[in-house]
Amino acid sequence: MQTNYLLPNKYKILGWVLFTIGLAFGIFLLLNEYESDLLNAKVLAIYYEGIFDSQDGFFKIINNNIVDELATICIIIGGLIVGFTKEKIEDEFIYKLRKDSLVWAIIVNYLILIFTIVFIYNMTFFHVLVLNMFTPLIFFIIRFNFLKFKSQNHEE
Amino acid sequence: MKNSIKVQRAIHDMTQADLASKIGVSRQSINAIEKNKYVPSTVLALKIAKLFNTTVEDIFFLEENE
Repeated sequence: MQTNYLLPNKYKILGWVLFTIGLAFGIFLLLNEYESDLLNAKVLAIYYEGIFDSQDGFFKIINNNIVDELATICIIIGGLIVGFTKEKIEDEFIYKLRKDSLVWAIIVNYLILIFTIVFIYNMTFFHVLVLNMFTPLIFFIIRFNFLKFKSQNHEE
Repeated sequence: MKNSIKVQRAIHDMTQADLASKIGVSRQSINAIEKNKYVPSTVLALKIAKLFNTTVEDIFFLEENE
């Protein structure tokens, strides 16, 4: 099967490592209300709106705790690598499983989002928005691996 | 669509894994095709037919309501 967006199989482990580290830090931050004192750094903000100071403006250098940014990037890059690396034997059947899983993940993700838009409000909805950054990828990975597992279990 | 891959495999004394490795797909793919859960591409169908020295029509055929 000719595909030009899949990475070689050897990157899969790297993907799982990044994804797991990202998720572990993500859950840690979620349980600590996104606050942590590790790793404060000066970062460039393309646009910054201060809550307590009046430093609004474009291209500001601000102080920020970067653990949440690192965790987010780890989950996204790790998840993309896990989802879009070749299998050991990459063929058209596995390609179809991947494609079907993607469609399934997008539909399920947005059905759940609609449900939460209607029934969840205020700060709780903020958590939904945060989680929704990752759920399309997470649902995709779970569904894809589930379908793969299911197809392996049907022996001759 | 149905197929006679299982019969052809028996004739040529091949396991699913043998057939899979000969045409460069995974064993799961052959299994899914045999169970009519996956319709292979034309390229794959032609490869399978070529391997069994026969035509695609002898291996894959439509069901009556199709």
